Amino acid sequence: MSRSGLAVTAFAVVLFLAVPGFAAQEKPMTDEQVEGLFASVCGFCHEDGGRVAGKGPQLMGTKRSDAFIINRIKHGKEARMPAFGDQFSDAQIKSILHYIRHLKPE
Amino acid sequence: MRQKKTFAFSMAVALGALAGGCAQQQAAAPPQAKVGEAAMMAVPADAETKADWTTYHGTWRDYDFSGLDQINTDTVKNLQVAWTHDPGRDTRGLQSMPLAEGGVLYYSGSYSRVYALDGATGKEVWHFFPTVDEALIKRQTHSPYNRGVALGDGRVYVGTVDGRLIGLDQKTGKKLWDTKLINSEKLTVGFTGAPLFLPGKNMVVIGAQGGEWPYRGPLFGVDATTGKRKWTFLTVGPDAKSRATWGHNSWRTGGGGGWMPGSYDASSNTLWWGTANPAPLYDWSGPDWKHKGARPGDNLYTTSVLALDPDNGTLKFYHQELPHDAWDFDSAIGEFVQIDENGQHLVVHPNKSGYIFVYNRDNGSIVNIWRITENSNFVKSIDPKTGELIGRRDFTAGPVNPPLCPAIDGGVSWNSGAYDPRTGTWYKVGNEWCIDLKVVKTQPILEPQAQLNIGADFHEVPPPGQDKIWGHVDARDPVTGQIKWQVKYKEPPLASLLATAGNLLFVPDAEGVLHALDSRNGQELWSHSDGVGHDGGIMTYEAGGKQYVAVVAGWGGMVTDGYPKMFGEPFTSMPRNTGVLTVYALK
Repeated sequence: MSRSGLAVTAFAVVLFLAVPGFAAQEKPMTDEQVEGLFASVCGFCHEDGGRVAGKGPQLMGTKRSDAFIINRIKHGKEARMPAFGDQFSDAQIKSILHYIRHLKPE
Repeated sequence: MRQKKTFAFSMAVALGALAGGCAQQQAAAPPQAKVGEAAMMAVPADAETKADWTTYHGTWRDYDFSGLDQINTDTVKNLQVAWTHDPGRDTRGLQSMPLAEGGVLYYSGSYSRVYALDGATGKEVWHFFPTVDEALIKRQTHSPYNRGVALGDGRVYVGTVDGRLIGLDQKTGKKLWDTKLINSEKLTVGFTGAPLFLPGKNMVVIGAQGGEWPYRGPLFGVDATTGKRKWTFLTVGPDAKSRATWGHNSWRTGGGGGWMPGSYDASSNTLWWGTANPAPLYDWSGPDWKHKGARPGDNLYTTSVLALDPDNGTLKFYHQELPHDAWDFDSAIGEFVQIDENGQHLVVHPNKSGYIFVYNRDNGSIVNIWRITENSNFVKSIDPKTGELIGRRDFTAGPVNPPLCPAIDGGVSWNSGAYDPRTGTWYKVGNEWCIDLKVVKTQPILEPQAQLNIGADFHEVPPPGQDKIWGHVDARDPVTGQIKWQVKYKEPPLASLLATAGNLLFVPDAEGVLHALDSRNGQELWSHSDGVGHDGGIMTYEAGGKQYVAVVAGWGGMVTDGYPKMFGEPFTSMPRNTGVLTVYALK
């Protein structure tokens, strides 16, 4: 049987033309934007904006290298973390790294 | 018909049970009723399974109850492992509900792998491993677990996380059709819940994942023979009435997936289905939620129970359990317990908040609403006659104090309870946990691929004034909520329950221990460790004249990932991405 998704695609076109997102842009994000990103996407696992360990590890004060963090954001880890390399630009991922490096207790 | 029960439980005993229990101990003095002593009611043929278990809840009445009684309170001491099966590639554990027909057991694992196994020996009859979009799965948050298959008209049906529904030949496992229903590559959501086969309708229905992704939660009705889509029901903004309840055109990104299978009432030809929360999960509207925040208004038809005409997917009637849900308390739990009592046609549906809604299933009117959790503060109460949310807490951006109860994980979770139609007793898990929450303004992320839209930072905490998170299995009247007994557990049990005519209630717990309780009083009669935590289904069937109990164990789901932090051992050391189907029989 064919895998027709034409009608679904039509809905998707309407959806994405109507509400542009802020992702996949070349320009970096502000810390405030990254905080919003954590509250939207990342915070289910990296709790309290990455300040404490939860389902995922604590990011505040992490000893991991910049290269490790960037690689993990881009490629994820099976069954632990999605890959965001197709979602965010290098500039945006550097913004996320900057946010993580400057996390302070609330 | 269900009649007034004669159990010798008083409310005083019930309250004592609530106050005095301890971990995994019976909380109330057991009643002295023997089998047949209490008023055992006649059981309609469609209310219990016998040799076969052909749909998610056993029968379409959603009782998760079997009339088999070879394994009973006297013989359960001789229960032992008959065989086990590892589906392989157990990414995110094993969360499905096995089915059985004609002595063959059918079940699914992660990546929508489907197995048909000899029910007596576990020997493989066939397997089907679909080719799925592995690159997409790497980008998905919750994937690639699968919560079950459907059986009907000689076929097996399974959904995939890349948005397809597949029909297989039940005898051979050969693929008959493969239909792409949703653009998961763009929308991220696919299918993790089991499909629902509608007997006599040549129809199979499936709902898309999640409320936290900014789509519109479709349900799909598909021709069971050909795989052709017959209808689509968008749970968000399908009509002008719905769109008027979403300020700023927020219906375009509303969420509302129907991620667990619903139920079917053949007597009225009604498809019952529950919908998820709106996106973002948490809103910053404050009290004026009709006009402010991310999605001003009621947000129809999210966090709602829908009654649909399965022939064309049109809405007959509905009830929105939580208008403008600002707490992620879905109605997507697919448990619709259909009870006939005193001439009334009732359906009992648990909301994730821990409130239990009882409806007249002829028209969706409210009959009663009661609560299974002790700790709850998102509202002061819900009017049991009108359904009005009284004293609701609608947050503004910033820290929330006191913590929100129950937690995002749910006062009840997505797995099922069990209803014994002989005694009118519903067995259901309640969870006592809360979250420290800070609401943060977000905007939908849609390009290049839709992302979660949560709207908060949070972590789980014990209820205010308590030092531990805990859970309990209750035996209650499903219509009134009156409690008969309660057993407390150190950690919320997450898996489904199974009740049988052997007067047994099977409770698969989070630590991996399968408990067999006397369903009349909660007394534990037998237990066995499956080695890893339970987070899926349990059922019973007959093969070669022998009764078997099948339960899945496997760890690695989104809620269970939080257990190491909440409870420490054994969860800190519990291997993730494991799975095993364990089948028990008498020696």
